[in-house]
Amino acid sequence: MSGMGVIEGGWEFVWAAYGISAAVLLGYAASLVARLRSERARVRREASRGLEVSR
Amino acid sequence: MNRPSEIPSGATRPAAFAFGALGLVLLCVGSYWGLVVAPAETYMGDVQRIMYVHVPTAWNAMLALTFAFGCALAFLFQGGWKWDCRLEAAMEVGVVLSMLLCAQGALWAKPTWGVWWDWDPRLTTTAVLVFAFGGILALRTFVDDPVRRGTWSAVAAIVAYIDVPIVYFSVKWWNSLHQQPSTPATVSSAFHLPLRINAFGILFLMIAFITLRSSLAALRLRGELAPPLPEPAVTTALAGTRG
Repeated sequence: MSGMGVIEGGWEFVWAAYGISAAVLLGYAASLVARLRSERARVRREASRGLEVSR
Repeated sequence: MNRPSEIPSGATRPAAFAFGALGLVLLCVGSYWGLVVAPAETYMGDVQRIMYVHVPTAWNAMLALTFAFGCALAFLFQGGWKWDCRLEAAMEVGVVLSMLLCAQGALWAKPTWGVWWDWDPRLTTTAVLVFAFGGILALRTFVDDPVRRGTWSAVAAIVAYIDVPIVYFSVKWWNSLHQQPSTPATVSSAFHLPLRINAFGILFLMIAFITLRSSLAALRLRGELAPPLPEPAVTTALAGTRG
Protein backbone atom coordinates (compact mmCIF):
# COMPACT_ATOMS: atom_id res chain seq x y z
CA MET A 1 0.00 0.00 0.00
CA SER A 2 1.32 3.50 -0.79
CA GLY A 3 1.31 6.39 1.68
CA MET A 4 -1.76 7.90 -0.03
CA GLY A 5 -4.14 5.16 1.15
CA VAL A 6 -4.12 3.55 -2.27
CA ILE A 7 -3.45 -0.17 -2.55
CA GLU A 8 -0.78 -1.10 -5.07
CA GLY A 9 -0.21 -4.56 -6.47
CA GLY A 10 -2.04 -7.39 -4.76
CA TRP A 11 -2.40 -9.49 -7.91
CA GLU A 12 -1.46 -12.60 -5.92
CA PHE A 13 -4.69 -12.18 -3.90
CA VAL A 14 -6.71 -11.68 -7.09
CA TRP A 15 -5.29 -14.84 -8.72
CA ALA A 16 -5.80 -16.79 -5.49
CA ALA A 17 -9.47 -15.72 -5.31
CA TYR A 18 -10.15 -16.65 -8.94
CA GLY A 19 -8.15 -19.90 -8.57
CA ILE A 20 -10.06 -20.97 -5.45
CA SER A 21 -13.37 -20.12 -7.14
CA ALA A 22 -12.50 -22.23 -10.20
CA ALA A 23 -11.23 -25.11 -8.05
CA VAL A 24 -14.32 -25.16 -5.80
CA LEU A 25 -16.87 -24.87 -8.64
CA LEU A 26 -15.16 -27.43 -10.90
CA GLY A 27 -14.41 -29.73 -7.95
CA TYR A 28 -18.03 -29.63 -6.79
CA ALA A 29 -19.26 -30.31 -10.35
CA ALA A 30 -16.91 -33.31 -10.60
CA SER A 31 -18.01 -34.63 -7.20
CA LEU A 32 -21.68 -34.35 -8.23
CA VAL A 33 -21.11 -36.29 -11.47
CA ALA A 34 -19.08 -38.97 -9.63
CA ARG A 35 -21.71 -39.36 -6.89
CA LEU A 36 -24.51 -39.58 -9.50
CA ARG A 37 -22.63 -42.25 -11.43
CA SER A 38 -21.98 -44.29 -8.31
CA GLU A 39 -25.64 -44.04 -7.22
CA ARG A 40 -26.83 -45.06 -10.72
CA ALA A 41 -24.51 -48.08 -10.61
CA ARG A 42 -25.98 -49.05 -7.22
CA VAL A 43 -29.53 -48.74 -8.58
CA ARG A 44 -28.61 -50.95 -11.58
CA ARG A 45 -27.07 -53.57 -9.25
CA GLU A 46 -30.18 -53.58 -7.06
CA ALA A 47 -32.44 -53.81 -10.13
CA SER A 48 -30.53 -56.80 -11.51
CA ARG A 49 -30.72 -58.46 -8.06
CA GLY A 50 -34.48 -57.83 -8.02
CA LEU A 51 -34.81 -59.46 -11.44
CA GLU A 52 -32.92 -62.51 -10.19
CA VAL A 53 -35.30 -62.83 -7.22
CA SER A 54 -38.38 -62.55 -9.41
CA ARG A 55 -37.17 -65.34 -11.72
CA MET B 1 -48.79 -31.75 7.31
CA ASN B 2 -49.63 -33.54 4.10
CA ARG B 3 -47.85 -36.83 3.73
CA PRO B 4 -45.26 -36.77 0.91
CA SER B 5 -46.42 -38.96 -1.94
CA GLU B 6 -44.75 -39.31 -5.31
CA ILE B 7 -40.99 -39.99 -5.35
CA PRO B 8 -39.13 -38.18 -8.16
CA SER B 9 -37.47 -40.47 -10.71
CA GLY B 10 -33.91 -39.21 -10.20
CA ALA B 11 -33.37 -38.99 -13.96
CA THR B 12 -30.77 -36.40 -14.96
CA ARG B 13 -32.21 -33.65 -17.09
CA PRO B 14 -30.10 -32.67 -20.15
CA ALA B 15 -31.07 -29.06 -19.37
CA ALA B 16 -28.86 -29.27 -16.25
CA PHE B 17 -25.77 -29.87 -18.39
CA ALA B 18 -26.84 -27.09 -20.81
CA PHE B 19 -27.18 -24.66 -17.87
CA GLY B 20 -23.81 -25.81 -16.52
CA ALA B 21 -22.06 -25.27 -19.87
CA LEU B 22 -23.69 -21.86 -20.34
CA GLY B 23 -22.71 -20.86 -16.80
CA LEU B 24 -19.12 -21.92 -17.36
CA VAL B 25 -18.86 -19.93 -20.63
CA LEU B 26 -20.37 -16.82 -18.99
CA LEU B 27 -18.05 -17.16 -15.99
CA CYS B 28 -15.00 -17.39 -18.28
CA VAL B 29 -16.09 -14.31 -20.29
CA GLY B 30 -16.98 -12.31 -17.16
CA SER B 31 -13.75 -13.22 -15.40
CA TYR B 32 -11.66 -12.30 -18.46
CA TRP B 33 -13.52 -8.97 -18.61
CA GLY B 34 -13.01 -8.37 -14.90
CA LEU B 35 -9.33 -9.30 -14.93
CA VAL B 36 -8.22 -7.74 -18.22
CA VAL B 37 -10.71 -5.26 -19.68
CA ALA B 38 -12.28 -3.50 -16.64
CA PRO B 39 -10.28 -0.61 -15.14
CA ALA B 40 -8.64 -0.81 -11.70
CA GLU B 41 -10.54 0.88 -8.86
CA THR B 42 -9.17 4.24 -7.65
CA TYR B 43 -8.33 3.27 -4.03
CA MET B 44 -8.26 -0.54 -3.98
CA GLY B 45 -6.45 -0.82 -7.30
CA ASP B 46 -6.36 -4.28 -8.87
CA VAL B 47 -7.43 -6.00 -5.63
CA GLN B 48 -10.97 -4.76 -6.30
CA ARG B 49 -11.14 -7.26 -9.22
CA ILE B 50 -11.97 -9.90 -6.58
CA MET B 51 -15.41 -8.24 -6.49
CA TYR B 52 -16.34 -9.83 -9.85
CA VAL B 53 -16.36 -13.30 -8.28
CA HIS B 54 -17.04 -12.43 -4.63
CA VAL B 55 -20.26 -10.44 -5.08
CA PRO B 56 -21.91 -12.86 -7.60
CA THR B 57 -21.03 -15.74 -5.24
CA ALA B 58 -22.70 -13.88 -2.36
CA TRP B 59 -25.87 -13.14 -4.35
CA ASN B 60 -26.19 -16.72 -5.54
CA ALA B 61 -25.42 -18.25 -2.13
CA MET B 62 -28.29 -16.20 -0.66
CA LEU B 63 -30.49 -17.15 -3.62
CA ALA B 64 -29.77 -20.88 -3.15
CA LEU B 65 -30.63 -20.65 0.56
CA THR B 66 -33.79 -18.66 -0.25
CA PHE B 67 -34.80 -21.46 -2.63
CA ALA B 68 -34.08 -23.95 0.18
CA PHE B 69 -36.41 -21.91 2.42
CA GLY B 70 -39.13 -22.07 -0.25
CA CYS B 71 -38.64 -25.84 -0.63
CA ALA B 72 -38.88 -26.31 3.15
CA LEU B 73 -42.20 -24.42 3.22
CA ALA B 74 -43.49 -26.39 0.21
CA PHE B 75 -42.51 -29.71 1.82
CA LEU B 76 -44.27 -28.84 5.08
CA PHE B 77 -47.45 -27.35 3.65
CA GLN B 78 -47.85 -29.02 0.27
CA GLY B 79 -46.00 -32.32 0.71
CA GLY B 80 -44.13 -34.19 -2.02
CA TRP B 81 -40.71 -35.83 -1.90
CA LYS B 82 -39.44 -33.62 -4.73
CA TRP B 83 -39.41 -30.70 -2.25
CA ASP B 84 -37.30 -32.67 0.22
CA CYS B 85 -34.82 -33.57 -2.56
CA ARG B 86 -34.68 -29.94 -3.70
CA LEU B 87 -34.28 -28.75 -0.10
CA GLU B 88 -31.27 -31.04 0.42
CA ALA B 89 -29.78 -29.96 -2.93
CA ALA B 90 -30.29 -26.23 -2.37
CA MET B 91 -28.86 -26.37 1.16
CA GLU B 92 -25.73 -28.19 -0.01
CA VAL B 93 -25.16 -25.80 -2.95
CA GLY B 94 -25.86 -22.82 -0.65
CA VAL B 95 -23.30 -24.06 1.89
CA VAL B 96 -20.65 -24.69 -0.82
CA LEU B 97 -21.16 -21.16 -2.21
CA SER B 98 -21.15 -19.62 1.29
CA MET B 99 -17.87 -21.35 2.16
CA LEU B 100 -16.38 -20.16 -1.14
CA LEU B 101 -17.69 -16.69 -0.29
CA CYS B 102 -15.79 -16.74 3.04
CA ALA B 103 -12.56 -17.84 1.30
CA GLN B 104 -12.86 -15.10 -1.35
CA GLY B 105 -13.70 -12.57 1.36
CA ALA B 106 -10.60 -13.50 3.37
CA LEU B 107 -8.46 -13.01 0.24
CA TRP B 108 -10.00 -9.57 -0.26
CA ALA B 109 -9.79 -8.67 3.45
CA LYS B 110 -6.06 -9.33 3.87
CA PRO B 111 -4.79 -6.62 1.44
CA THR B 112 -7.57 -4.11 2.28
CA TRP B 113 -8.17 -4.56 6.05
CA GLY B 114 -4.80 -6.11 6.93
CA VAL B 115 -6.39 -9.26 8.42
CA TRP B 116 -7.73 -12.50 6.91
CA TRP B 117 -10.72 -12.60 9.25
CA ASP B 118 -12.46 -10.33 11.73
CA TRP B 119 -15.47 -11.01 13.96
CA ASP B 120 -17.32 -8.20 12.30
CA PRO B 121 -21.16 -8.47 11.99
CA ARG B 122 -21.22 -9.40 8.27
CA LEU B 123 -18.51 -12.05 8.58
CA THR B 124 -19.86 -13.48 11.84
CA THR B 125 -23.43 -13.80 10.56
CA THR B 126 -22.14 -15.46 7.37
CA ALA B 127 -20.13 -17.95 9.45
CA VAL B 128 -23.29 -18.68 11.49
CA LEU B 129 -25.12 -19.32 8.20
CA VAL B 130 -22.50 -21.84 7.04
CA PHE B 131 -22.55 -23.70 10.36
CA ALA B 132 -26.36 -23.68 10.62
CA PHE B 133 -27.07 -25.10 7.15
CA GLY B 134 -23.94 -27.30 7.23
CA GLY B 135 -25.15 -28.68 10.56
CA ILE B 136 -28.61 -29.48 9.15
CA LEU B 137 -26.98 -31.33 6.23
CA ALA B 138 -24.71 -33.27 8.59
CA LEU B 139 -27.59 -34.21 10.91
CA ARG B 140 -29.73 -35.38 7.98
CA THR B 141 -27.31 -38.29 7.53
CA PHE B 142 -28.07 -39.54 11.07
CA VAL B 143 -31.86 -39.90 10.63
CA ASP B 144 -32.97 -43.10 8.91
CA ASP B 145 -36.71 -42.39 8.70
CA PRO B 146 -37.19 -40.24 5.55
CA VAL B 147 -40.48 -38.70 6.76
CA ARG B 148 -39.05 -37.60 10.12
CA ARG B 149 -35.83 -36.44 8.44
CA GLY B 150 -37.70 -34.39 5.84
CA THR B 151 -39.99 -32.80 8.41
CA TRP B 152 -37.42 -31.77 10.99
CA SER B 153 -34.87 -30.59 8.43
CA ALA B 154 -37.54 -28.45 6.73
CA VAL B 155 -38.37 -26.86 10.11
CA ALA B 156 -34.65 -26.40 10.89
CA ALA B 157 -34.03 -24.84 7.46
CA ILE B 158 -36.85 -22.31 8.06
CA VAL B 159 -35.34 -21.39 11.44
CA ALA B 160 -31.79 -21.16 9.98
CA TYR B 161 -33.05 -18.98 7.12
CA ILE B 162 -33.76 -16.18 9.63
CA ASP B 163 -30.00 -15.50 9.42
CA VAL B 164 -30.10 -14.70 5.65
CA PRO B 165 -31.77 -11.26 5.97
CA ILE B 166 -29.59 -10.61 9.03
CA VAL B 167 -26.48 -11.23 6.85
CA TYR B 168 -27.82 -8.79 4.26
CA PHE B 169 -28.78 -6.03 6.70
CA SER B 170 -25.83 -6.53 9.08
CA VAL B 171 -23.78 -3.82 7.33
CA LYS B 172 -26.68 -1.39 7.66
CA TRP B 173 -27.70 -2.22 11.23
CA TRP B 174 -24.27 -2.32 12.88
CA ASN B 175 -20.87 -0.66 12.49
CA SER B 176 -19.00 -2.97 10.18
CA LEU B 177 -15.59 -3.18 8.57
CA HIS B 178 -17.38 -4.64 5.58
CA GLN B 179 -18.48 -2.17 2.93
CA GLN B 180 -22.15 -1.55 2.08
CA PRO B 181 -23.72 -4.02 -0.39
CA SER B 182 -22.19 -3.79 -3.90
CA THR B 183 -24.91 -3.55 -6.52
CA PRO B 184 -24.99 -1.95 -9.99
CA ALA B 185 -26.52 1.05 -8.21
CA THR B 186 -23.57 1.47 -5.84
CA VAL B 187 -20.59 0.71 -8.11
CA SER B 188 -19.20 2.61 -11.09
CA SER B 189 -20.78 1.80 -14.49
CA ALA B 190 -17.38 0.55 -15.74
CA PHE B 191 -17.72 -2.39 -13.33
CA HIS B 192 -21.32 -3.33 -14.23
CA LEU B 193 -20.76 -5.65 -17.18
CA PRO B 194 -18.31 -8.18 -15.65
CA LEU B 195 -20.33 -8.15 -12.42
CA ARG B 196 -23.55 -8.96 -14.27
CA ILE B 197 -21.98 -11.56 -16.59
CA ASN B 198 -20.43 -13.42 -13.64
CA ALA B 199 -23.67 -13.15 -11.65
CA PHE B 200 -25.56 -14.92 -14.46
CA GLY B 201 -22.67 -17.39 -14.91
CA ILE B 202 -22.81 -18.47 -11.27
CA LEU B 203 -26.63 -18.42 -11.36
CA PHE B 204 -26.71 -20.90 -14.27
CA LEU B 205 -24.05 -23.07 -12.61
CA MET B 206 -26.09 -23.00 -9.40
CA ILE B 207 -29.25 -24.11 -11.27
CA ALA B 208 -27.26 -26.99 -12.83
CA PHE B 209 -25.82 -27.99 -9.45
CA ILE B 210 -29.19 -27.93 -7.68
CA THR B 211 -30.82 -29.95 -10.48
CA LEU B 212 -28.08 -32.62 -10.47
CA ARG B 213 -27.89 -32.77 -6.65
CA SER B 214 -31.67 -33.08 -6.54
CA SER B 215 -31.48 -36.09 -8.89
CA LEU B 216 -28.88 -37.65 -6.59
CA ALA B 217 -31.10 -37.09 -3.54
CA ALA B 218 -34.05 -38.64 -5.41
CA LEU B 219 -32.06 -41.75 -6.35
CA ARG B 220 -30.99 -42.23 -2.71
CA LEU B 221 -34.55 -41.69 -1.50
CA ARG B 222 -35.92 -44.28 -3.94
CA GLY B 223 -33.37 -46.75 -2.56
CA GLU B 224 -34.44 -45.97 1.01
CA LEU B 225 -38.18 -46.23 0.34
CA ALA B 226 -38.02 -49.34 -1.86
CA PRO B 227 -38.99 -52.62 -0.12
CA PRO B 228 -35.86 -54.52 0.96
CA LEU B 229 -34.66 -57.29 -1.31
CA PRO B 230 -34.18 -60.77 0.19
CA GLU B 231 -30.65 -61.75 1.19
CA PRO B 232 -28.70 -63.83 -1.41
CA ALA B 233 -29.06 -66.99 0.77
CA VAL B 234 -32.86 -66.61 0.74
CA THR B 235 -32.80 -66.03 -3.01
CA THR B 236 -30.85 -69.28 -3.50
CA ALA B 237 -33.24 -71.19 -1.23
CA LEU B 238 -36.25 -69.81 -3.13
CA ALA B 239 -34.67 -70.82 -6.42
CA GLY B 240 -34.15 -74.32 -4.98
CA THR B 241 -37.82 -74.73 -3.93
CA ARG B 242 -38.96 -73.56 -7.38
CA GLY B 243 -36.66 -76.00 -9.12
